[in-house]
Amino acid sequence: MGQAAAQAGPITITIAGPGSQLSTIAVSGLKNLGGDDEHRVGSAFVGTLRRDLELSGYFRIIDPHAYIEDPQSSGFELGQFNFADWRSINADFVVKGSVSAGGAGVKLTAFLYDVAQQRRMMGKNYNGDAVDVARMARRFADAILEAATGQRGPFDSKLALVSTRGGRFKEIYTQSIDGQDLFRLTGNPTINLFPSFDRSARDVLYLSYKSMAPALYLADLKEQREAKLDSPHGRVIGGTISPDGERIVAAIERDGATNLFLITREGAEIRQLTDTSGINVSPAISPDGGTLAFTSDRSGSPQIYVMSLAGGAPKRLTYSGDYNTTPAFSPKGDKLAYQSRNNGRFDIWTIPAGGGDPVQVTDGNGSNEYPSWSPDGRYLAFSSTRGHNSRIYIMMVGNRKIISALTEGNGNDSCPVWSGWLGE
Amino acid sequence: MIPVQCGRGGWVNSRSTLAKAMAIVGVAVMLSLAACSSKKPAPINGGENNPGGSQLGENGVGKGGGNSLEDWKNGKFGAQGPLSDIHFAYNEYTIQEQDGSVLKSNASWLQAHPQTRVQVEGHCDERGSEEYNIALGAKRAQAAKDYLVTLGIGGSRISTISYGKELPLCTEHDESCWSQNRRDHFAVSE
Repeated sequence: MGQAAAQAGPITITIAGPGSQLSTIAVSGLKNLGGDDEHRVGSAFVGTLRRDLELSGYFRIIDPHAYIEDPQSSGFELGQFNFADWRSINADFVVKGSVSAGGAGVKLTAFLYDVAQQRRMMGKNYNGDAVDVARMARRFADAILEAATGQRGPFDSKLALVSTRGGRFKEIYTQSIDGQDLFRLTGNPTINLFPSFDRSARDVLYLSYKSMAPALYLADLKEQREAKLDSPHGRVIGGTISPDGERIVAAIERDGATNLFLITREGAEIRQLTDTSGINVSPAISPDGGTLAFTSDRSGSPQIYVMSLAGGAPKRLTYSGDYNTTPAFSPKGDKLAYQSRNNGRFDIWTIPAGGGDPVQVTDGNGSNEYPSWSPDGRYLAFSSTRGHNSRIYIMMVGNRKIISALTEGNGNDSCPVWSGWLGE
Repeated sequence: MIPVQCGRGGWVNSRSTLAKAMAIVGVAVMLSLAACSSKKPAPINGGENNPGGSQLGENGVGKGGGNSLEDWKNGKFGAQGPLSDIHFAYNEYTIQEQDGSVLKSNASWLQAHPQTRVQVEGHCDERGSEEYNIALGAKRAQAAKDYLVTLGIGGSRISTISYGKELPLCTEHDESCWSQNRRDHFAVSE
């Protein structure tokens, strides 16, 4: 799938940031330049883009029924349409574009316009297959956020999660952030937990009881194969893969004690990281691959610690609360999100990775667990029991706004992990 | 403090295709948690007067009261086998005083059936994270194993596994249920 800037105009930053009033945006239908007479391609692009912009928390999408202009009879380039048609329905921004589809694939052009200033802010050309169209929309949503906020959006990425939607067994799934492309990775009637991605979302590491005892499995989504990782040191009960996909930190239980080990992706041991008779679990690796965060009961209750993956003494980070666990590094590596228990339920908190004051970011509604950062660092995905079932939600960290559920349907969803941006 | 041996490499790395791993799951029938419809704590039976004990030879292990994951897959979850469960305080893994007699009964049964092996399963209630609870369940299983060994059962006959909070006997969100779920289950095999 190719992408190029289409004569991008000067970028005007008009959105102040989280907490400001939502901007209004109209996403017009695409003009069919040939081969998309039933608007299948155009609708897939526009529908995905509207959903992603809604999930961003920055925009209110103006109802398409209010749109005055007919995209097919008007143009999409600057000067070929009337800004008054968009100003009169109170649009701050409008997206317009065109599509042609045929044997050579899909060619798609989209522009973001600032209605008040009557100027083009950004434009992109995309070439690819029909199956790539939703991804073109996600990339355009990310580009809109970049044009409007100065920071690329997070939607060209994936979510991995655990769900019982297929029955009573916990299976691993992946999906887009906007809920499309649901893919069931595991299909064994046992217990599957703790998916983690490498940065490119090519590999998924997860824990499974499919052999009737827990072990880690490293699935290569591209090659459609996987490797089982057992340990000579004991029973593997958890783990995470490093952002570069080269290393794994595994939690291994022996004689009741659970400790963390650094291993290669092929399973060769590099070093033992913790050595206590208690519990050391929930490893998280920093984006630069240098630091480990984990949960340990060495103080008498579960607390978050950080240490160098080169070894050395851990440093305790959390001191308030008697149950802090499931740390996740922000993409810059400067913060950790984690879950902290209060009155029998959990809330999500953040804390500086070097130590400092914790900040509560969820609101005490239901039990809120297993935070994972978006690749741009503005959002967290987490599981919550605030509704009838446990669902995955997206929130904006800066203003603590819970934007939307990211999952729906039968069963309970848990253990969300947000990948990095997908490759070209 | 239990030292963890730190040998060289040696991790098993076996490859299989995802296609195999992704074999279609049959339509799962919702498990009836009959044992949990009552909010009363599960009765703790001594090994001798537990009717399940006499069925071991006839019906074989895995027909109920055996390995919890196997029973759960087969829709037979929650039945008692020849050995009785023990229970734990919240976020604790020390054997409670009242469970000493249960473990002694379990040890007597194991001594009377020397051809059997037992897998101690550690289980937790729903509070807390999934991974921490698997580690906590491992502690609970190990505590019972250690106790049985001090009662004279050979350690080689006893294995342990933790299911964390993944296989609850009872799904209500209150202490009457949680106290049933914080348990060690003893699955016997020939």
